[in-house]
Amino acid sequence: MSVTTPDFAAAPDLPAILPEAKQRGRILGFIYRHPTICVGGLLVGVMIFIAIFAPYLGTRDPTALAPSKRTREPSGLYWFGTDMLGRDVYSRVLYGSRVSLIVGFSVALFASVLGTFIGLVSGFIRGLDTVIMRAMDGLMSIPPILLAIALMALTRASVQNVIIAISIAEFPRVSRLVRGVVLSLREQPYVEAAIASGTRVPAIIWKHILPNTLAPLMVQATFICASAMITEATLSFIGAGTPPIIPSWGNIMAEGRALWQVKPFIVFFPAIFLSVTVLAVNLLGDGLRDALDPRLAKRL
Amino acid sequence: MIDRRGLLKTAAVAATGALAAPRLSLAAGSKTLRFIPQANLANLDPIWTTQYVVRNGSLLIWDMLYGVNEKLEPQPQMVEGHEASGDFKTWTFRLRPGLKFHDGEPVLARDAVASIDRWMARDATMGGVIKKRLDALEAVDDRTFRFRLSQPYPKMLFALGKSSTPTLFIMPERIAATDPFKQISEYVGSGPMRFKRDEWVPGAKAIFERFDGYVPRGEKADWLSGGKRIHFERIEWQIVPDGATASAALQNGEVDWWETPLPDLVPLLRQSPNVAVDISDPLGNIGSFRINHLYPPFNDVRARRAVQIAVSQEDYMGAVVGDDQSLWRTLPGFFTPDTPLYTEFGGEPLKGKRDYELAKKLLADSGYKNEPVVLLVATDVAITKAQGDVTADLLKRIGVNVQYQALDWGTVGQRRAKKDPPSEGGWNIFHTWHAGADCVNPAPYIALDCSGPTAWFGWPKSDLVQEKIAAWYDAPDLAAEKQAIKELNKAAMDHVVYVPTGFFKGYQAWRKNISGVVKAPFPVFWDVTKA
Amino acid sequence: MFAYIARRIASTIPVVLLVALFVFSLLYIAPGDPAAIIAGDQATPADVDRIRASLGLDRPFLVRFFDWFWHILQGDLGTSIFTNLPVTHMIAQRIEPTVSLMTLTLILSLTLAIPMGVIAAWKHGTWIDRAVMMVAVLGFSTPVFVIGYVLAYVFALRLDWLPVQGFTSISEGLIPFLRNLILPSVALGLVYMALIARITRATMLDVLSQDYIRTAKAKGVGQRGMLFVHALKNAAVPIVTIVGIGFAALIGGAVVTESVFAIPGLGRLTVDAILRRDYPVIQGVVLLFSFVYVLVNLGVDLLYTLFDPRIRY
Repeated sequence: MSVTTPDFAAAPDLPAILPEAKQRGRILGFIYRHPTICVGGLLVGVMIFIAIFAPYLGTRDPTALAPSKRTREPSGLYWFGTDMLGRDVYSRVLYGSRVSLIVGFSVALFASVLGTFIGLVSGFIRGLDTVIMRAMDGLMSIPPILLAIALMALTRASVQNVIIAISIAEFPRVSRLVRGVVLSLREQPYVEAAIASGTRVPAIIWKHILPNTLAPLMVQATFICASAMITEATLSFIGAGTPPIIPSWGNIMAEGRALWQVKPFIVFFPAIFLSVTVLAVNLLGDGLRDALDPRLAKRL
Repeated sequence: MIDRRGLLKTAAVAATGALAAPRLSLAAGSKTLRFIPQANLANLDPIWTTQYVVRNGSLLIWDMLYGVNEKLEPQPQMVEGHEASGDFKTWTFRLRPGLKFHDGEPVLARDAVASIDRWMARDATMGGVIKKRLDALEAVDDRTFRFRLSQPYPKMLFALGKSSTPTLFIMPERIAATDPFKQISEYVGSGPMRFKRDEWVPGAKAIFERFDGYVPRGEKADWLSGGKRIHFERIEWQIVPDGATASAALQNGEVDWWETPLPDLVPLLRQSPNVAVDISDPLGNIGSFRINHLYPPFNDVRARRAVQIAVSQEDYMGAVVGDDQSLWRTLPGFFTPDTPLYTEFGGEPLKGKRDYELAKKLLADSGYKNEPVVLLVATDVAITKAQGDVTADLLKRIGVNVQYQALDWGTVGQRRAKKDPPSEGGWNIFHTWHAGADCVNPAPYIALDCSGPTAWFGWPKSDLVQEKIAAWYDAPDLAAEKQAIKELNKAAMDHVVYVPTGFFKGYQAWRKNISGVVKAPFPVFWDVTKA
Repeated sequence: MFAYIARRIASTIPVVLLVALFVFSLLYIAPGDPAAIIAGDQATPADVDRIRASLGLDRPFLVRFFDWFWHILQGDLGTSIFTNLPVTHMIAQRIEPTVSLMTLTLILSLTLAIPMGVIAAWKHGTWIDRAVMMVAVLGFSTPVFVIGYVLAYVFALRLDWLPVQGFTSISEGLIPFLRNLILPSVALGLVYMALIARITRATMLDVLSQDYIRTAKAKGVGQRGMLFVHALKNAAVPIVTIVGIGFAALIGGAVVTESVFAIPGLGRLTVDAILRRDYPVIQGVVLLFSFVYVLVNLGVDLLYTLFDPRIRY
């Protein structure tokens, strides 16, 4: 697929939710100019807080069973109710944020690093370009969830393996993006000049390429983070993801799905948390893209 | 709301005219029974696999020489009569006349002989014993075949008619000639329904069509015995792995009968005016905490006792069955409650308050030093998943370093057969359950056998247990049988062959326009009708 | 142009080969011995070896790959470990529901999302614009199965308007077909709609700010006509592109949607195969989906020349 470069990263912007306003101090001004970053960032911040401080937020052991107290409705004692093994759904959901965030951030990081490396190699070493890009085309022509599913079928369920599987499914897009930046920058006069003057490749990468890659890369990484969270939940939901013994949002929903008619809260709470988190990350990505590179939104 | 549905249906018919009509009439008609089985029918070789769901489908396609009735007594089915020599060493059977396979060929004695051969190769408990004692099994004429044994085998009819898996089904000789370790690829039988292979979508649906050449016996049907009269032209098995979807489909009238509704959804089904719910199998099931006796820590009886006294059957049953206490009871024994041989003798370790401190001490005495204990959990089967989760919690409480391995039921099936050390792909614990019908006495009870290497997975070895089992086989009357079972129960409990996690029953649910659904360890389709 | 088309078609061949090699490697490194699985619980090691040899599992990697690929070219994807049926047969049985689901989803998404995007661009900056865009972000922040259960709960169980589960072939009537498929299509289509609506809006805004549109405006072409005729035509390329790329999300979503609504399609086949580690089936399905995805994107590329004759390669 030779023309299929545009992607989530290049997806168009959200509207400016608030109109232009006069600057009332730098912070307020920033909020006015980038409302989506603020809303998204705030929500992501809250989720990170929850993940880190889960043990101190009125939770109990999220894996402790109490079959005699199973499927209790939400109450003052069990804020989100209990599941079919009598585990506290509130505690499970809070602890579950750890899995989602770890998977989301790790995949964003690994896919970016690996993708950047491959993209740089491909952009600088002409001889390898075709081979690498064909390989990326091959990987990209397997739908990401399907690829992740197939990879999970090969290994024992563990959070690490989920991260690896989703990273493999996501990184080719990054490598394409980075390669594109490299190719366009190579033609810039100052880069050509640097090459002509004998500057070593690592220096060129460090000085000229990476700084210019950073903005689109950050945006792309944010969207990868969001999509990785959904993929993790989906994998767990169909039983091919995070080990069931670990409370993750996908696992809680998978276990509660059979009872959604009678005990909808078991599925409902993790679903809300997942959706809000993914939404927050997407908002952050939209805002970042607008803030870092307004042209990107129009560059389709 | 019914009005609105009716309206929509009318609109549908009006809008699409003749095209839509056949389907609606088909679905509404009483000629088709739509059934949600307990699990997917992934293959259809009842000798190759011991899955209950395959046996249940096979009951429609293939007929049996003998079939058990409600009292689990074998009654002649394909057989017209038999003759046993006084020493129980020669058994001669004569087939009913007029039996036909679905391809029109007559059922002959050599078909029965080939089918018995294949079955004996795979059935470890009864078929295997017959095979060991066998001098010859031969077809005497087209309708007669004969066993000649080197030692007496008085329980021959129980073996030929056993409903526990693998069950002896009679297949055409060419199919029965298949290597017992390979799957058959043709599903031709002489049972009341024929399998529509071209419409089979594994994982989604399996279709059976009435076989008009079937000649039912004259007697009234009783479980697997008597006249198997089918009142439907088609029986459609719809595979719906998600309990919520299945329950909604039954409430909406999209299916007629659901074999294993989740107990948690039963209150909801009971509210539905068109759905009836009842216990499915009076003999119920026994939950099993299966231990590998070959490797530490559980090669030491003290470590096995540690988990035995820590097992809270209330917890297991709550997790497996739920809040409905009419569905389960604690089971301080190995045999099916409410059957003649049931006993609680020796069951003290499973009664009363759970003693975690003593469990820790026993573990320490056994020399346990925090090695990882591999727990295989089939997460795709609700009963095994729930038991596994409770066990993980329990082991943690008594200080065991548990390694929870989430797998699917098929993989557990392979892994449990491995005798390798737990650290090299073997295992320490897995969970399953045994149908109560298979636990009424030691003959079909493969899980209680303590013959070591040839025993069921976990390979328990206890001469005392084997001695007590032999005592039951030799018991001349019921009183002696009871005495033997009492001692067997205690011996097995002391040796901790496995730990029963409780006795539970399941529900079945059907639309109220269906009648004739009976309680049995398998779905009985004959004599069921639809208004 | 024909040269371009030929080149473009030729360029998919190495991609398909790569996918095949990759998918084959999956099976090759898969844990668990298919021979042991086929042999069953009570087989002896000799039985397993015999089966392994009969399946040709004892030959080297490349030999097996080319043998496998040769069979694929002849339409043979191997045999399922669990059902003992040919994989091509299992796939063929399940194609109709999946194709139906995806087609309906595509139609729904395109007919809803493009107008949404156009209106949002037209009413740029108003509450309509914001509402459309919020819905779009929500659309791809919510997992398909959550949307599916919510829809089933409301429309099938509470309101009782539609069936909860199952699939009816279109050959049995359009209305029953649609009744079964409408909820899954909406659930599956939401992500897709979100993508298309966003891209439509963005490109429309982009196009609207360009010179020739301003010229058209100055010439007095009516607002509505201008929007649709000029702008949409020029926005077609990115929209078609995202339709192609988004197809991956559609395939991924179908896997889950079919499980939720008990639709006997390829998605459920995939999930079942994964849970049972039925590698030949996994291979076959992944290969098929990837092949379709490559074809769709090939089609998209070829469509460019149709939509935008200015594009020359």
